Amino acid sequence: MTGQTETTRPTRDAHDPAGSSWPGWSTGFPWRVTRWQIGVAVLASVAAPVVWLATGRGEFWPRWVWFGLAAALAGQAALRSAWRTPPGPRRWLAVHTAVFGILVPAEFVIWGLSGGGFLWPVWALVVLGAAFTAHAWAVSRLPPDREVELTRRVDTLVRSRRVVVDGQNAELQRIERDLHDGAQARLVSLGVSLGLAEHLVRTDPEAAIRMLGESRASVGATLEDLRTVMRQIRPPVLADRGLVGAVEALALDLAVPVTVAARLPGAVPGSLEPAVYFAVAECLANVVKHSGARSARVDLAHADGRLVVTVADDGLGGAAPDRGSGLRGVADRLEVFDGRVRVDSPAGAGTRVTIDVPCELENR
Amino acid sequence: MTTEETPMRVVLAEDLGLLREGLVRLLEAHDIEVVAAVDNGPGLLSALLRHRPDLAVVDVRLPPTFTDEGLRAALAAREQIPGLPVMVLSQYVEQLYARELLADTRGGIGYLLKDRVSDFREFLDAVRRVAAGGTALDPVVVSKLLGRQERDVGVRRLSPREREVLGHMAQGRSNAAIGAAMVITEKAVGKHTNSIFAKLGLLPSEDDNRRVLAVLAYLQAPPDPDRAR
Repeated sequence: MTGQTETTRPTRDAHDPAGSSWPGWSTGFPWRVTRWQIGVAVLASVAAPVVWLATGRGEFWPRWVWFGLAAALAGQAALRSAWRTPPGPRRWLAVHTAVFGILVPAEFVIWGLSGGGFLWPVWALVVLGAAFTAHAWAVSRLPPDREVELTRRVDTLVRSRRVVVDGQNAELQRIERDLHDGAQARLVSLGVSLGLAEHLVRTDPEAAIRMLGESRASVGATLEDLRTVMRQIRPPVLADRGLVGAVEALALDLAVPVTVAARLPGAVPGSLEPAVYFAVAECLANVVKHSGARSARVDLAHADGRLVVTVADDGLGGAAPDRGSGLRGVADRLEVFDGRVRVDSPAGAGTRVTIDVPCELENR
Repeated sequence: MTTEETPMRVVLAEDLGLLREGLVRLLEAHDIEVVAAVDNGPGLLSALLRHRPDLAVVDVRLPPTFTDEGLRAALAAREQIPGLPVMVLSQYVEQLYARELLADTRGGIGYLLKDRVSDFREFLDAVRRVAAGGTALDPVVVSKLLGRQERDVGVRRLSPREREVLGHMAQGRSNAAIGAAMVITEKAVGKHTNSIFAKLGLLPSEDDNRRVLAVLAYLQAPPDPDRAR
Protein backbone atom coordinates (compact mmCIF):
# COMPACT_ATOMS: atom_id res chain seq x y z
CA MET A 1 0.00 0.00 0.00
CA THR A 2 2.70 2.45 1.00
CA GLY A 3 4.63 1.39 -2.08
CA GLN A 4 2.27 3.48 -4.17
CA THR A 5 4.30 6.43 -5.40
CA GLU A 6 3.39 10.09 -5.34
CA THR A 7 4.09 10.45 -9.04
CA THR A 8 1.38 8.10 -10.28
CA ARG A 9 -0.80 9.44 -13.08
CA PRO A 10 -3.36 10.64 -13.81
CA THR A 11 -3.15 13.33 -11.17
CA ARG A 12 -6.01 15.71 -11.09
CA ASP A 13 -7.01 18.45 -8.76
CA ALA A 14 -10.63 18.27 -7.75
CA HIS A 15 -10.27 22.05 -7.89
CA ASP A 16 -8.60 23.90 -10.72
CA PRO A 17 -6.74 26.66 -8.90
CA ALA A 18 -6.35 29.80 -11.05
CA GLY A 19 -7.19 27.87 -14.19
CA SER A 20 -5.93 30.69 -16.40
CA SER A 21 -2.28 29.75 -16.87
CA TRP A 22 -0.99 29.37 -20.44
CA PRO A 23 1.07 26.24 -20.54
CA GLY A 24 4.43 26.79 -22.20
CA TRP A 25 4.16 30.58 -22.21
CA SER A 26 4.20 31.14 -18.52
CA THR A 27 7.75 29.79 -18.24
CA GLY A 28 10.88 31.85 -18.93
CA PHE A 29 11.83 33.17 -22.36
CA PRO A 30 14.03 30.43 -23.71
CA TRP A 31 16.58 32.19 -25.90
CA ARG A 32 19.28 33.58 -23.67
CA VAL A 33 22.24 35.33 -25.36
CA THR A 34 24.94 32.68 -24.97
CA ARG A 35 28.73 33.04 -24.77
CA TRP A 36 28.83 30.95 -27.89
CA GLN A 37 26.73 33.51 -29.76
CA ILE A 38 28.92 36.39 -28.54
CA GLY A 39 32.03 34.46 -29.52
CA VAL A 40 30.72 33.88 -33.06
CA ALA A 41 29.71 37.55 -33.34
CA VAL A 42 33.13 38.80 -32.23
CA LEU A 43 34.82 36.37 -34.60
CA ALA A 44 32.64 37.50 -37.53
CA SER A 45 33.24 41.18 -36.64
CA VAL A 46 37.01 40.66 -36.76
CA ALA A 47 36.90 38.40 -39.83
CA ALA A 48 34.84 40.79 -41.96
CA PRO A 49 37.47 43.61 -42.21
CA VAL A 50 40.20 41.00 -42.77
CA VAL A 51 38.24 39.55 -45.68
CA TRP A 52 37.54 43.10 -46.87
CA LEU A 53 41.32 43.87 -46.80
CA ALA A 54 42.15 40.60 -48.54
CA THR A 55 39.61 41.08 -51.31
CA GLY A 56 40.87 44.43 -52.49
CA ARG A 57 39.10 46.97 -50.32
CA GLY A 58 36.01 48.02 -52.27
CA GLU A 59 33.17 49.79 -50.61
CA PHE A 60 33.47 49.24 -46.77
CA TRP A 61 30.76 46.57 -46.45
CA PRO A 62 31.85 45.11 -43.04
CA ARG A 63 29.89 47.95 -41.37
CA TRP A 64 26.72 46.13 -42.44
CA VAL A 65 28.01 42.92 -40.84
CA TRP A 66 28.67 44.80 -37.59
CA PHE A 67 25.32 46.46 -37.68
CA GLY A 68 23.46 43.20 -38.37
CA LEU A 69 25.18 41.30 -35.55
CA ALA A 70 24.72 44.14 -33.04
CA ALA A 71 21.05 44.55 -33.94
CA ALA A 72 20.36 40.81 -33.65
CA LEU A 73 22.05 40.48 -30.24
CA ALA A 74 20.48 43.68 -28.87
CA GLY A 75 17.04 42.55 -30.06
CA GLN A 76 17.42 39.17 -28.40
CA ALA A 77 18.62 40.69 -25.11
CA ALA A 78 15.83 43.28 -25.11
CA LEU A 79 13.13 40.64 -25.72
CA ARG A 80 14.53 38.46 -23.00
CA SER A 81 14.50 41.25 -20.44
CA ALA A 82 10.97 42.23 -21.50
CA TRP A 83 9.88 38.64 -20.88
CA ARG A 84 10.79 39.00 -17.19
CA THR A 85 7.58 40.97 -16.70
CA PRO A 86 4.86 38.76 -15.18
CA PRO A 87 2.47 37.24 -17.75
CA GLY A 88 -0.43 39.33 -18.89
CA PRO A 89 -1.02 42.60 -20.80
CA ARG A 90 1.95 44.26 -19.08
CA ARG A 91 4.33 41.70 -20.55
CA TRP A 92 3.05 42.39 -24.05
CA LEU A 93 3.62 46.11 -23.52
CA ALA A 94 7.20 45.38 -22.40
CA VAL A 95 7.72 43.32 -25.57
CA HIS A 96 6.30 46.17 -27.61
CA THR A 97 8.68 48.60 -25.88
CA ALA A 98 11.64 46.34 -26.67
CA VAL A 99 10.69 46.01 -30.35
CA PHE A 100 10.05 49.75 -30.61
CA GLY A 101 13.31 50.54 -28.80
CA ILE A 102 15.37 48.42 -31.21
CA LEU A 103 13.52 49.05 -34.48
CA VAL A 104 13.49 52.87 -34.45
CA PRO A 105 17.20 53.40 -33.61
CA ALA A 106 18.03 50.65 -36.13
CA GLU A 107 16.24 52.58 -38.88
CA PHE A 108 18.19 55.73 -38.06
CA VAL A 109 21.45 53.76 -38.14
CA ILE A 110 20.48 52.25 -41.50
CA TRP A 111 19.67 55.73 -42.75
CA GLY A 112 23.12 56.89 -41.53
CA LEU A 113 24.99 53.91 -42.89
CA SER A 114 23.33 54.16 -46.27
CA GLY A 115 24.55 57.69 -46.71
CA GLY A 116 21.86 59.97 -45.25
CA GLY A 117 19.71 61.92 -47.63
CA PHE A 118 15.94 62.24 -47.10
CA LEU A 119 15.19 61.43 -43.40
CA TRP A 120 12.72 58.64 -44.16
CA PRO A 121 12.88 56.97 -40.65
CA VAL A 122 10.83 59.92 -39.37
CA TRP A 123 7.73 58.42 -40.98
CA ALA A 124 8.35 55.07 -39.30
CA LEU A 125 8.92 56.90 -36.01
CA VAL A 126 5.59 58.70 -36.31
CA VAL A 127 3.54 55.59 -37.20
CA LEU A 128 5.22 53.21 -34.73
CA GLY A 129 5.26 55.92 -32.04
CA ALA A 130 1.52 56.43 -32.40
CA ALA A 131 0.86 52.68 -32.15
CA PHE A 132 3.13 52.43 -29.11
CA THR A 133 1.52 55.41 -27.40
CA ALA A 134 -1.94 53.93 -27.94
CA HIS A 135 -0.84 50.57 -26.53
CA ALA A 136 0.83 52.18 -23.48
CA TRP A 137 -2.26 54.30 -22.83
CA ALA A 138 -4.52 51.25 -22.99
CA VAL A 139 -2.34 49.30 -20.57
CA SER A 140 -2.09 52.25 -18.17
CA ARG A 141 -5.86 52.12 -17.80
CA LEU A 142 -5.71 48.51 -16.57
CA PRO A 143 -5.89 47.95 -12.81
CA PRO A 144 -2.52 47.26 -11.12
CA ASP A 145 -1.34 43.65 -10.75
CA ARG A 146 -2.02 43.52 -7.01
CA GLU A 147 -5.57 44.55 -7.67
CA VAL A 148 -5.93 41.80 -10.28
CA GLU A 149 -4.63 39.27 -7.75
CA LEU A 150 -6.99 40.53 -5.05
CA THR A 151 -9.91 40.52 -7.44
CA ARG A 152 -9.23 36.89 -8.25
CA ARG A 153 -8.99 36.01 -4.56
CA VAL A 154 -12.25 37.81 -3.83
CA ASP A 155 -13.90 35.95 -6.71
CA THR A 156 -12.72 32.65 -5.21
CA LEU A 157 -13.99 33.65 -1.77
CA VAL A 158 -17.36 34.77 -3.09
CA ARG A 159 -17.71 31.50 -4.96
CA SER A 160 -16.63 29.28 -2.07
CA ARG A 161 -18.85 31.21 0.32
CA ARG A 162 -21.81 30.77 -1.96
CA VAL A 163 -21.07 27.05 -2.31
CA VAL A 164 -20.87 26.74 1.49
CA VAL A 165 -24.04 28.70 2.10
CA ASP A 166 -25.86 26.69 -0.56
CA GLY A 167 -24.49 23.49 0.93
CA GLN A 168 -25.52 24.47 4.45
CA ASN A 169 -28.92 25.47 3.22
CA ALA A 170 -29.41 22.15 1.46
CA GLU A 171 -28.16 20.38 4.59
CA LEU A 172 -30.60 22.23 6.84
CA GLN A 173 -33.44 21.50 4.43
CA ARG A 174 -32.58 17.83 4.45
CA ILE A 175 -32.41 17.76 8.27
CA GLU A 176 -35.71 19.61 8.49
CA ARG A 177 -37.30 17.10 6.11
CA ASP A 178 -35.81 14.13 7.98
CA LEU A 179 -37.14 15.44 11.30
CA HIS A 180 -40.50 16.29 9.78
CA ASP A 181 -41.01 12.95 8.05
CA GLY A 182 -39.30 10.89 10.75
CA ALA A 183 -39.27 11.84 14.42
CA GLN A 184 -42.06 14.42 14.22
CA ALA A 185 -44.48 12.13 12.34
CA ARG A 186 -43.75 9.30 14.75
CA LEU A 187 -44.38 11.52 17.77
CA VAL A 188 -47.72 12.56 16.28
CA SER A 189 -48.80 8.94 15.87
CA LEU A 190 -47.42 8.18 19.33
CA GLY A 191 -49.65 10.88 20.78
CA VAL A 192 -52.65 9.36 19.01
CA SER A 193 -51.80 5.86 20.29
CA LEU A 194 -51.41 7.11 23.87
CA GLY A 195 -54.69 9.01 23.64
CA LEU A 196 -56.44 5.87 22.41
CA ALA A 197 -54.88 3.81 25.20
CA GLU A 198 -56.06 6.35 27.77
CA HIS A 199 -59.55 6.14 26.29
CA LEU A 200 -59.58 2.33 26.26
CA VAL A 201 -57.93 1.62 29.60
CA ARG A 202 -61.22 1.10 31.49
CA THR A 203 -63.42 -0.33 28.74
CA ASP A 204 -60.94 -2.58 26.95
CA PRO A 205 -57.76 -3.00 29.03
CA GLU A 206 -56.39 -5.65 26.65
CA ALA A 207 -56.52 -3.25 23.68
CA ALA A 208 -55.06 -0.48 25.86
CA ILE A 209 -52.10 -2.69 26.74
CA ARG A 210 -51.59 -3.49 23.06
CA MET A 211 -51.66 0.24 22.24
CA LEU A 212 -49.09 0.97 24.94
CA GLY A 213 -46.82 -1.76 23.60
CA GLU A 214 -47.05 -0.24 20.12
CA SER A 215 -46.30 3.18 21.60
CA ARG A 216 -43.14 1.89 23.21
CA ALA A 217 -41.97 0.40 19.91
CA SER A 218 -42.73 3.72 18.25
CA VAL A 219 -40.55 5.53 20.82
CA GLY A 220 -37.67 3.21 19.87
CA ALA A 221 -38.10 4.00 16.17
CA THR A 222 -38.26 7.74 16.92
CA LEU A 223 -35.00 7.56 18.85
CA GLU A 224 -33.38 5.69 15.97
CA ASP A 225 -34.50 8.45 13.58
CA LEU A 226 -33.05 11.11 15.87
CA ARG A 227 -29.78 9.22 16.17
CA THR A 228 -29.48 9.04 12.37
CA VAL A 229 -30.07 12.78 12.02
CA MET A 230 -27.60 13.61 14.79
CA ARG A 231 -24.93 11.42 13.24
CA GLN A 232 -25.28 13.38 10.01
CA ILE A 233 -24.90 16.70 11.81
CA ARG A 234 -21.94 15.71 13.98
CA PRO A 235 -21.25 12.13 15.09
CA PRO A 236 -21.12 11.95 18.93
CA VAL A 237 -17.91 9.92 18.78
CA LEU A 238 -16.22 12.99 17.27
CA ALA A 239 -16.91 14.93 20.47
CA ASP A 240 -15.82 11.95 22.60
CA ARG A 241 -12.63 10.93 20.86
CA GLY A 242 -11.68 13.64 18.37
CA LEU A 243 -10.89 13.13 14.70
CA VAL A 244 -8.58 10.12 15.02
CA GLY A 245 -10.89 8.18 17.36
CA ALA A 246 -13.90 8.96 15.17
CA VAL A 247 -12.08 7.75 12.04
CA GLU A 248 -11.08 4.56 13.88
CA ALA A 249 -14.71 4.03 14.93
CA LEU A 250 -15.81 4.64 11.34
CA ALA A 251 -13.27 2.14 10.00
CA LEU A 252 -14.63 -0.58 12.31
CA ASP A 253 -18.07 -0.41 10.69
CA LEU A 254 -16.80 -1.16 7.18
CA ALA A 255 -16.75 -4.46 5.33
CA VAL A 256 -13.23 -3.71 4.00
CA PRO A 257 -10.41 -3.90 6.57
CA VAL A 258 -9.07 -0.39 7.09
CA THR A 259 -5.83 0.45 8.90
CA VAL A 260 -5.80 3.85 10.57
CA ALA A 261 -2.39 5.39 11.33
CA ALA A 262 -2.16 8.81 12.97
CA ARG A 263 0.82 10.99 13.74
CA LEU A 264 -0.79 14.07 15.24
CA PRO A 265 1.00 15.74 18.16
CA GLY A 266 -2.18 17.66 19.09
CA ALA A 267 -5.89 17.88 18.46
CA VAL A 268 -7.44 19.13 15.22
CA PRO A 269 -9.51 22.31 15.84
CA GLY A 270 -13.16 21.51 16.54
CA SER A 271 -14.41 23.67 13.65
CA LEU A 272 -12.37 21.67 11.14
CA GLU A 273 -13.01 18.17 12.54
CA PRO A 274 -16.43 17.52 10.98
CA ALA A 275 -15.32 18.64 7.49
CA VAL A 276 -12.31 16.32 7.55
CA TYR A 277 -14.31 13.50 9.17
CA PHE A 278 -17.04 13.62 6.52
CA ALA A 279 -14.38 13.88 3.79
CA VAL A 280 -12.74 10.67 5.05
CA ALA A 281 -16.17 9.05 5.42
CA GLU A 282 -16.99 9.86 1.79
CA CYS A 283 -13.65 8.45 0.59
CA LEU A 284 -14.10 5.24 2.61
CA ALA A 285 -17.67 4.87 1.35
CA ASN A 286 -16.27 5.05 -2.20
CA VAL A 287 -13.66 2.42 -1.29
CA VAL A 288 -16.39 0.03 -0.13
CA LYS A 289 -18.85 0.80 -2.94
CA HIS A 290 -16.68 1.21 -6.04
CA SER A 291 -13.05 0.22 -5.60
CA GLY A 292 -13.27 -3.56 -5.19
CA ALA A 293 -10.38 -3.14 -2.75
CA ARG A 294 -9.29 -5.89 -0.35
CA SER A 295 -7.93 -3.41 2.16
CA ALA A 296 -7.53 0.31 2.69
CA ARG A 297 -5.47 2.64 4.78
CA VAL A 298 -6.02 6.06 6.32
CA ASP A 299 -3.00 8.14 7.33
CA LEU A 300 -3.32 11.34 9.33
CA ALA A 301 -0.25 13.54 9.72
CA HIS A 302 0.62 17.14 10.45
CA ALA A 303 3.64 18.99 9.06
CA ASP A 304 4.53 22.61 8.21
CA GLY A 305 1.20 23.94 9.44
CA ARG A 306 -0.83 21.55 7.30
CA LEU A 307 -3.00 18.58 8.16
CA VAL A 308 -2.53 15.90 5.51
CA VAL A 309 -4.93 12.95 5.41
CA THR A 310 -4.55 10.23 2.80
CA VAL A 311 -7.07 7.50 2.08
CA ALA A 312 -5.51 4.78 -0.05
CA ASP A 313 -6.88 1.45 -1.27
CA ASP A 314 -5.61 -1.48 -3.32
CA GLY A 315 -8.61 -1.60 -5.61
CA LEU A 316 -9.28 -1.04 -9.30
CA GLY A 317 -8.26 2.61 -9.53
CA GLY A 318 -9.40 4.74 -12.45
CA ALA A 319 -11.62 6.93 -10.25
CA ALA A 320 -12.50 10.25 -11.85
CA PRO A 321 -12.91 13.02 -9.28
CA ASP A 322 -15.04 15.15 -11.60
CA ARG A 323 -17.60 12.38 -11.98
CA GLY A 324 -20.17 12.08 -9.22
CA SER A 325 -20.91 14.73 -6.66
CA GLY A 326 -19.43 12.98 -3.60
CA LEU A 327 -15.82 14.08 -3.89
CA ARG A 328 -16.92 17.40 -5.37
CA GLY A 329 -18.92 18.06 -2.19
CA VAL A 330 -15.92 17.06 -0.08
CA ALA A 331 -13.72 19.54 -1.95
CA ASP A 332 -16.32 22.30 -1.61
CA ARG A 333 -16.65 21.74 2.11
CA LEU A 334 -12.86 21.90 2.55
CA GLU A 335 -12.37 24.94 0.34
CA VAL A 336 -13.69 27.14 3.17
CA PHE A 337 -10.63 26.11 5.15
CA ASP A 338 -8.36 26.65 2.10
CA GLY A 339 -8.14 22.87 1.94
CA ARG A 340 -7.47 20.85 -1.19
CA VAL A 341 -8.38 17.37 -2.35
CA ARG A 342 -6.19 15.47 -4.81
CA VAL A 343 -7.05 12.15 -6.41
CA ASP A 344 -4.38 9.77 -7.75
CA SER A 345 -6.14 6.86 -9.38
CA PRO A 346 -4.21 5.12 -12.12
CA ALA A 347 -6.26 2.32 -13.67
CA GLY A 348 -5.47 -1.00 -12.03
CA ALA A 349 -3.26 0.43 -9.28
CA GLY A 350 -5.60 1.56 -6.51
CA THR A 351 -6.83 4.98 -5.53
CA ARG A 352 -5.20 7.50 -3.24
CA VAL A 353 -7.08 10.58 -2.13
CA THR A 354 -5.02 13.25 -0.39
CA ILE A 355 -6.78 15.84 1.74
CA ASP A 356 -4.56 18.76 2.60
CA VAL A 357 -5.73 21.58 4.91
CA PRO A 358 -3.73 24.37 6.57
CA CYS A 359 -4.32 24.20 10.33
CA GLU A 360 -2.60 24.56 13.69
CA LEU A 361 -3.09 21.72 16.17
CA GLU A 362 -4.42 22.45 19.64
CA ASN A 363 -3.61 21.07 23.05
CA ARG A 364 -6.69 19.41 24.43
CA MET B 1 -23.19 -14.39 42.29
CA THR B 2 -26.38 -13.38 44.03
CA THR B 3 -28.72 -15.51 46.00
CA GLU B 4 -32.24 -15.02 47.31
CA GLU B 5 -30.90 -14.02 50.72
CA THR B 6 -28.46 -11.31 49.60
CA PRO B 7 -29.94 -9.10 46.87
CA MET B 8 -27.76 -7.91 44.00
CA ARG B 9 -26.01 -4.60 44.81
CA VAL B 10 -25.70 -2.02 42.07
CA VAL B 11 -23.94 1.34 41.67
CA LEU B 12 -25.71 3.55 39.16
CA ALA B 13 -24.34 6.55 37.24
CA GLU B 14 -26.78 8.63 35.20
CA ASP B 15 -26.85 12.42 34.97
CA LEU B 16 -30.46 12.83 33.82
CA GLY B 17 -32.39 13.03 37.11
CA LEU B 18 -35.62 11.63 35.71
CA LEU B 19 -33.99 8.57 34.16
CA ARG B 20 -31.83 8.03 37.26
CA GLU B 21 -34.90 7.98 39.51
CA GLY B 22 -36.71 5.71 37.06
CA LEU B 23 -33.84 3.23 36.97
CA VAL B 24 -33.54 3.19 40.77
CA ARG B 25 -37.26 2.49 41.08
CA LEU B 26 -37.19 -0.20 38.40
CA LEU B 27 -34.21 -2.01 39.92
CA GLU B 28 -35.43 -1.78 43.52
CA ALA B 29 -38.88 -3.05 42.48
CA HIS B 30 -37.10 -6.19 41.30
CA ASP B 31 -35.09 -6.87 44.43
CA ILE B 32 -31.93 -5.20 43.19
CA GLU B 33 -30.42 -2.85 45.71
CA VAL B 34 -29.03 0.44 44.39
CA VAL B 35 -26.29 1.21 46.90
CA ALA B 36 -25.28 4.47 45.20
CA ALA B 37 -26.74 6.59 42.41
CA VAL B 38 -24.34 9.27 41.15
CA ASP B 39 -24.48 11.83 38.35
CA ASN B 40 -20.83 12.33 37.32
CA GLY B 41 -17.67 10.44 36.31
CA PRO B 42 -15.37 11.07 39.28
CA GLY B 43 -18.27 10.32 41.69
CA LEU B 44 -18.81 6.99 39.91
CA LEU B 45 -15.21 5.88 40.34
CA SER B 46 -15.12 6.65 44.06
CA ALA B 47 -18.55 5.02 44.63
CA LEU B 48 -17.39 1.86 42.86
CA LEU B 49 -14.20 1.68 44.90
CA ARG B 50 -16.10 2.24 48.15
CA HIS B 51 -19.08 -0.08 47.59
CA ARG B 52 -17.55 -2.84 45.44
CA PRO B 53 -21.00 -3.65 43.96
CA ASP B 54 -22.09 -6.75 42.04
CA LEU B 55 -22.72 -4.55 38.99
CA ALA B 56 -22.09 -1.01 37.76
CA VAL B 57 -24.82 0.49 35.54
CA VAL B 58 -23.23 3.45 33.75
CA ASP B 59 -24.30 6.12 31.28
CA VAL B 60 -21.54 6.75 28.70
CA ARG B 61 -21.92 10.51 28.63
CA LEU B 62 -21.48 12.12 32.03
CA PRO B 63 -20.35 15.42 33.51
CA PRO B 64 -17.92 17.13 33.80
CA THR B 65 -16.74 16.60 30.21
CA PHE B 66 -20.03 15.34 28.71
CA THR B 67 -17.98 13.09 26.44
CA ASP B 68 -17.39 9.36 27.07
CA GLU B 69 -16.60 10.09 30.74
CA GLY B 70 -18.76 7.20 32.01
CA LEU B 71 -17.11 4.64 29.74
CA ARG B 72 -13.65 5.78 30.79
CA ALA B 73 -14.59 5.69 34.48
CA ALA B 74 -16.00 2.16 34.08
CA LEU B 75 -12.85 0.96 32.31
CA ALA B 76 -10.67 2.60 34.99
CA ALA B 77 -12.73 0.93 37.73
CA ARG B 78 -12.27 -2.47 36.09
CA GLU B 79 -8.52 -2.01 36.26
CA GLN B 80 -8.73 -1.47 40.02
CA ILE B 81 -11.49 -4.03 40.63
CA PRO B 82 -10.70 -6.86 38.20
CA GLY B 83 -13.77 -8.68 36.98
CA LEU B 84 -16.22 -5.94 38.04
CA PRO B 85 -19.34 -6.48 35.89
CA VAL B 86 -20.28 -3.32 34.00
CA MET B 87 -23.47 -2.48 32.13
CA VAL B 88 -22.97 0.57 29.92
CA LEU B 89 -26.02 2.47 28.64
CA SER B 90 -25.85 5.04 25.86
CA GLN B 91 -27.92 7.16 23.47
CA TYR B 92 -25.78 5.82 20.62
CA VAL B 93 -23.57 2.77 20.19
CA GLU B 94 -20.15 2.39 18.63
CA GLN B 95 -18.33 -0.84 17.78
CA LEU B 96 -15.18 0.93 19.00
CA TYR B 97 -16.60 1.18 22.53
CA ALA B 98 -17.91 -2.40 22.49
CA ARG B 99 -14.42 -3.50 21.52
CA GLU B 100 -12.84 -1.54 24.37
CA LEU B 101 -15.28 -2.98 26.87
CA LEU B 102 -14.84 -6.54 25.66
CA ALA B 103 -11.03 -6.30 25.53
CA ASP B 104 -10.89 -7.44 29.17
CA THR B 105 -12.79 -10.74 29.31
CA ARG B 106 -12.79 -10.97 33.11
CA GLY B 107 -16.27 -10.11 34.38
CA GLY B 108 -19.54 -9.53 32.59
CA ILE B 109 -20.03 -6.74 30.08
CA GLY B 110 -23.23 -5.13 28.92
CA TYR B 111 -23.49 -2.43 26.27
CA LEU B 112 -27.03 -1.36 25.42
CA LEU B 113 -28.91 1.56 23.95
CA LYS B 114 -30.88 3.43 26.59
CA ASP B 115 -34.06 2.64 24.65
CA ARG B 116 -33.73 -1.00 25.75
CA VAL B 117 -34.49 -0.04 29.35
CA SER B 118 -38.13 0.44 28.39
CA ASP B 119 -38.44 -3.31 27.76
CA PHE B 120 -38.19 -4.12 31.47
CA ARG B 121 -38.17 -7.89 31.14
CA GLU B 122 -35.35 -7.94 28.57
CA PHE B 123 -33.43 -5.26 30.42
CA LEU B 124 -33.61 -6.99 33.81
CA ASP B 125 -32.64 -10.24 32.15
CA ALA B 126 -29.57 -8.50 30.68
CA VAL B 127 -28.74 -6.92 34.07
CA ARG B 128 -28.82 -10.31 35.81
CA ARG B 129 -26.86 -11.96 33.02
CA VAL B 130 -24.06 -9.37 33.15
CA ALA B 131 -23.91 -9.41 36.96
CA ALA B 132 -23.44 -13.19 36.69
CA GLY B 133 -20.43 -12.69 34.37
CA GLY B 134 -22.27 -12.93 31.05
CA THR B 135 -22.55 -10.62 28.05
CA ALA B 136 -25.33 -8.35 26.81
CA LEU B 137 -24.59 -6.59 23.54
CA ASP B 138 -27.09 -4.30 21.86
CA PRO B 139 -28.68 -5.67 18.66
CA VAL B 140 -27.48 -2.53 16.85
CA VAL B 141 -23.85 -3.33 17.72
CA VAL B 142 -24.37 -6.92 16.63
CA SER B 143 -25.92 -5.93 13.32
CA LYS B 144 -22.96 -3.57 12.72
CA LEU B 145 -20.60 -6.47 13.49
CA LEU B 146 -22.44 -8.75 11.09
CA GLY B 147 -22.65 -6.05 8.43
CA ARG B 148 -18.90 -5.62 8.60
CA GLN B 149 -18.44 -9.35 8.00
CA GLU B 150 -20.71 -9.53 4.96
CA ARG B 151 -17.76 -10.44 2.71
CA ASP B 152 -16.28 -12.95 5.14
CA VAL B 153 -16.21 -16.44 3.68
CA GLY B 154 -17.22 -18.12 6.96
CA VAL B 155 -20.20 -15.85 7.56
CA ARG B 156 -21.30 -16.13 3.93
CA ARG B 157 -21.56 -19.89 4.30
CA LEU B 158 -24.20 -19.58 7.04
CA SER B 159 -27.85 -20.15 6.20
CA PRO B 160 -30.27 -17.27 6.97
CA ARG B 161 -31.54 -19.20 10.00
CA GLU B 162 -28.01 -19.76 11.27
CA ARG B 163 -27.23 -16.10 10.78
CA GLU B 164 -30.23 -15.24 12.95
CA VAL B 165 -29.02 -17.61 15.65
CA LEU B 166 -25.52 -16.10 15.37
CA GLY B 167 -27.03 -12.63 15.89
CA HIS B 168 -28.81 -13.75 19.07
CA MET B 169 -25.67 -15.51 20.31
CA ALA B 170 -23.55 -12.39 19.73
CA GLN B 171 -26.02 -10.43 21.87
CA GLY B 172 -25.09 -12.80 24.70
CA ARG B 173 -28.19 -14.97 24.89
CA SER B 174 -28.22 -18.57 26.08
CA ASN B 175 -29.58 -21.38 23.89
CA ALA B 176 -32.78 -21.42 25.95
CA ALA B 177 -33.31 -17.68 25.46
CA ILE B 178 -32.56 -17.94 21.73
CA GLY B 179 -35.07 -20.77 21.43
CA ALA B 180 -37.70 -18.67 23.20
CA ALA B 181 -36.99 -15.65 21.00
CA MET B 182 -37.09 -17.63 17.74
CA VAL B 183 -39.89 -19.92 18.86
CA ILE B 184 -37.90 -23.11 18.26
CA THR B 185 -36.76 -25.83 20.64
CA GLU B 186 -33.53 -25.52 22.57
CA LYS B 187 -32.38 -28.69 20.82
CA ALA B 188 -32.89 -27.07 17.40
CA VAL B 189 -30.87 -24.06 18.59
CA GLY B 190 -28.10 -26.44 19.68
CA LYS B 191 -28.03 -27.96 16.21
CA HIS B 192 -27.73 -24.53 14.62
CA THR B 193 -24.95 -23.47 17.00
CA ASN B 194 -22.95 -26.63 16.26
CA SER B 195 -23.28 -25.96 12.54
CA ILE B 196 -22.29 -22.30 13.01
CA PHE B 197 -19.20 -23.24 15.00
CA ALA B 198 -18.20 -25.78 12.36
CA LYS B 199 -18.63 -23.32 9.49
CA LEU B 200 -16.70 -20.57 11.27
CA GLY B 201 -14.00 -23.00 12.37
CA LEU B 202 -14.50 -22.31 16.09
CA LEU B 203 -14.03 -24.82 18.91
CA PRO B 204 -17.39 -25.77 20.46
CA SER B 205 -17.86 -25.22 24.18
CA GLU B 206 -20.52 -26.19 26.69
CA ASP B 207 -20.18 -22.88 28.54
CA ASP B 208 -22.69 -20.31 27.21
CA ASN B 209 -20.58 -17.23 27.83
CA ARG B 210 -17.38 -18.74 26.48
CA ARG B 211 -19.29 -19.49 23.27
CA VAL B 212 -20.51 -15.91 23.12
CA LEU B 213 -16.99 -14.57 23.55
CA ALA B 214 -15.64 -16.91 20.85
CA VAL B 215 -18.30 -15.69 18.43
CA LEU B 216 -17.58 -12.04 19.29
CA ALA B 217 -13.84 -12.54 18.85
CA TYR B 218 -14.54 -13.98 15.40
CA LEU B 219 -16.84 -11.11 14.43
CA GLN B 220 -14.41 -8.48 15.70
CA ALA B 221 -11.49 -9.79 13.64
CA PRO B 222 -10.92 -7.97 10.34
CA PRO B 223 -13.30 -9.27 7.65
CA ASP B 224 -11.49 -11.75 5.45
CA PRO B 225 -12.93 -12.94 2.13
CA ASP B 226 -10.41 -15.83 2.17
CA ARG B 227 -10.88 -16.93 5.77
CA ALA B 228 -11.80 -20.51 5.02
CA ARG B 229 -11.62 -23.60 7.17
